[in-house]
Amino acid sequence: MPWFLHLALRQLFPPGKRFPAFATVSILGVGLGVASLLVVQTVMNGFGEEHRLRIRESFGDCVIVGAAPIANPDELVAKLRLDKEVDGATAYAEGPGLLRRGDFSGVAGVRGIDPADKRQPARQYVTAGKFDDLDDGRVILGYGLARNLRAQVGDRIELWSPAMAERAEKGKAPLPAELEVCAIVRTGFTEVDDRAALIPLRRFREIWSLGPRAHGVILRLKNPAQAAATAGRLGVGHPDLRFVPWQDIKKNFLEAIRFEKTMLFFLMFIITLVASFSIGSTLFSAVIRRSREIGVLVSLGSGRWQLVGLFGVQGLLIGALGTALGFVLTWVMLFFRENILGSINAVFGDGDMVANVYQFSKVPLHYDVSDFVIAAAFTLLTTTIAGLVPALWAAGRKPSEAMRDA
Amino acid sequence: MPDVVLQARGLAKAFVAPAGRLPVLVDISIEVCAGESVSIRGSSGSGKTTLLQQLGGLDEPDAGTVGVFAHGGGMVPPRKTLGRGIGFVFQNYQLMPELTALENVALAARIAGVDAGPAESAARELLAQVGLIDRLDHLPSRLSGGECQRVAIARALVNKPSVILADEPTGNLDERTGVEIMNLLLGVVAERGAALVLVTHSREFAERATRRFVLSGGVLSPA
Repeated sequence: MPWFLHLALRQLFPPGKRFPAFATVSILGVGLGVASLLVVQTVMNGFGEEHRLRIRESFGDCVIVGAAPIANPDELVAKLRLDKEVDGATAYAEGPGLLRRGDFSGVAGVRGIDPADKRQPARQYVTAGKFDDLDDGRVILGYGLARNLRAQVGDRIELWSPAMAERAEKGKAPLPAELEVCAIVRTGFTEVDDRAALIPLRRFREIWSLGPRAHGVILRLKNPAQAAATAGRLGVGHPDLRFVPWQDIKKNFLEAIRFEKTMLFFLMFIITLVASFSIGSTLFSAVIRRSREIGVLVSLGSGRWQLVGLFGVQGLLIGALGTALGFVLTWVMLFFRENILGSINAVFGDGDMVANVYQFSKVPLHYDVSDFVIAAAFTLLTTTIAGLVPALWAAGRKPSEAMRDA
Repeated sequence: MPDVVLQARGLAKAFVAPAGRLPVLVDISIEVCAGESVSIRGSSGSGKTTLLQQLGGLDEPDAGTVGVFAHGGGMVPPRKTLGRGIGFVFQNYQLMPELTALENVALAARIAGVDAGPAESAARELLAQVGLIDRLDHLPSRLSGGECQRVAIARALVNKPSVILADEPTGNLDERTGVEIMNLLLGVVAERGAALVLVTHSREFAERATRRFVLSGGVLSPA
């Protein structure tokens, strides 16, 4: 080990002191800065990823809609399934409905689906009952909607559609559809959980008087990343239909999350920069305090760059240890994120902001290696510069002045 | 003619003060030979430390030249042979507070380019010679003033320099310890064949040098 590295380690961690003040405070400061940067980035990544996942689960990799309901959806689905890029195609219909169970009622976003489709995303979110029990006399409810209706698996509910009001206008007595709850799904996305009601497409067509038509077709592609190009190609020859790739569904919302992540990165960047400046300031004080020692090192034959190394390495070590601590703190904070958020909500009385604003029942996460690499590189760079500036100043001094000024 | 190991010609140094230029050293020339000890006395502020810094290459003179004999390199400017051709002993010991006695001495050898193992062996041998073999792992804060100065002397000698420059090495010590340190310094330096330039207030210690000078008004004169 070079002598200046050995001396730098001893100056940072003097023997006999378990928590040397300068090193402890500096490493903690950098660690907190790195942790705040990574926690924000990881949670924002989580929001973005979860929204993308939900969009793809709800609308597939590409959704086909028109100005009017699709007149011959079965023919279109059969044709699309022959395309080499298409992994699956299924027609759907959707519309608002009024659900009632005894004295409780709620507005639902009712979707007509193909119950035989083994790749229906709702299958993986069933918390009670069985998805495969879904038939013309049954319904699957979102968790929040079921809770509002006080409904459980096996309970019977009434479903009213706008088409029933048309029937009433024509003098026919409108009778609600009676359905048995066969399953409850909980996706964690409150917009879905509080509103979703799934029934077979055939039953939907009856209740909504839709005939053979459908409101759209959901496509699953072999390469979802190429959804835009595939949608453009498939859309040729269908001027009355829009082929919308998943990236364009709720595009503004996803852009807003990305923008929010960028802004928060800059805020956290400034926090880490401030921590680095404080290290630079403290190292500068240490260099001045050690002026006499610097003079002595020169008298022992130390070169300018070895002195730069002595103090520069201290900045680098603080950066490296602070980054490592930041990684650990990030993991701990994210592991206990629900408890931390609960405490914050309890103190500030904000209610469940995650559910209210971002529509998730839990704070989502998505670890992105590039965020960690960028945070580590940025922190090591700034702390090393913070150490190098006073080091260069120290190395440039005359040893006689250094010894006299100490 | 004995081997000259330190040579200064026409050294001059002045400091800029509010009242104008203040000459501290005026046309000083001196030669020191191997095995010789030279004392320089003077009142406080007479420029003794400044002269030592010029001789040791810690500061540049306004005029004049200094040369130090470097093993295998002939006479070179002192700045080029710091730590190897010249060893310093300071009044306040100037040990690294985070390093043990052994590490402080070995540090000087490491800076001079010696590997860790040989540096530690040389440091151990010198500390034994100055009577600190049972204090190797002690930090300076756990050593007495006299012990610290012994470590500093060992550090100055570890690279076998041709010249030792000692700036008030007994200034912070009581009388009895001061005598012990002077005996040690003169003895060890003579034993190793190095030259000693000793700056001191003490007439008694100055008298023990083979040649004696007084610095007054910036001029160096024989005592």
